[in-house]
Amino acid sequence: MAAAITFGDFPLIHPDTIEVGVGELALAQHPKLLITLALGSCVGISLWDATLKQGGLAHVMLPHPPESMPTRDLHRFASVAVPDMVRLMAEKGSARRRLVAKIAGGAAMFASDTGIATIGDRNVAEAKRQLELLNIPLIAEDTGGGHARTVELHLDTGAFRVRSYLYGIREL
Amino acid sequence: MRLSDLSDIQIDALREVGNIGASHAATALSQMVGKPIQLSPPTLDLIPQKEIPRALGGPEQLVGAVYSRLLGDIEGGMLFMAPRDASLALADLMHGREVGTSKSFGRDEEALITHVGSILASAHLAAVARFSDLNVLPATPAFALDMAGAILDMATAGVGLKGDTALLLRTNFSDEDTSIEVILFFLPDQDSLDTLLGRLGVV
Repeated sequence: MAAAITFGDFPLIHPDTIEVGVGELALAQHPKLLITLALGSCVGISLWDATLKQGGLAHVMLPHPPESMPTRDLHRFASVAVPDMVRLMAEKGSARRRLVAKIAGGAAMFASDTGIATIGDRNVAEAKRQLELLNIPLIAEDTGGGHARTVELHLDTGAFRVRSYLYGIREL
Repeated sequence: MRLSDLSDIQIDALREVGNIGASHAATALSQMVGKPIQLSPPTLDLIPQKEIPRALGGPEQLVGAVYSRLLGDIEGGMLFMAPRDASLALADLMHGREVGTSKSFGRDEEALITHVGSILASAHLAAVARFSDLNVLPATPAFALDMAGAILDMATAGVGLKGDTALLLRTNFSDEDTSIEVILFFLPDQDSLDTLLGRLGVV
């Protein structure tokens, strides 16, 4: 397994790639490609519309904003990012009933520190709750565990490609 | 907040804290392995947490990391990080083996790096405590070997929403033939950083 710890074999980043930063979300249409790097306890949430070959990807850090939160960078929170992404997709012509979701991330990078070990789980739970509220089917997930993940959303096929040092490439 | 936003007195005090921490850590590590281990005086920087992955070679850079949550008057964490190869070289250095001997992370290397990271963090915190007259201790250290960005997400999510700034200390471990660069991040939440900066150089 040790020998497999390399990024050398992974394909080069596609020139049409749009990178979604931590706490951000982005929408795109084929032939563009959405990517977000190094999800730890964060969750990558993707939405895809097969008809228009377009989709969205969010990189959320925490389940929801605290009461006293000043209103900045709200896409860090699953409870805001998911409904917002659905609304933005609708504005681009993707009706909610056509959307399907896939998620990845929510790991516990430092399992022995109990103070922060549950953040990943809570992020995943909130992402699922939001999708359920909006009636969007979650058709695949690769969540939990203790390893980091990078994810790519391919907008022609809806393939959600998850890369990690531990498992290499998994396609959802 | 950037280093340039601080007064000369605050910067000098932070630098002095870093120097004392590194010097005490070097003494402790030398005692631990029974031969002289040198640590260079750390170079200091104050950067937005978002920029940390770049300082390490990108979010996907494979790093060995040791995280300790802070207990006491300061909230936040201490995070030790070194790229995988540097972590392995450090394990060799601590073992008195030729650098390049360790090829992968076993339980032994993991324990050793956890120990080194923990001593570095504790020595720095002890210096912080002395200069600021604050009570601050590290919780049990936890080890991870994975993408720098993901480890950082976890550490900064632990700090909560108020931590935007990280204090970065770069230092080099060396014996006669080898020099290995590692990074120590001090990630206090914003209130704790303000408290600390307010006290540095004036207590």
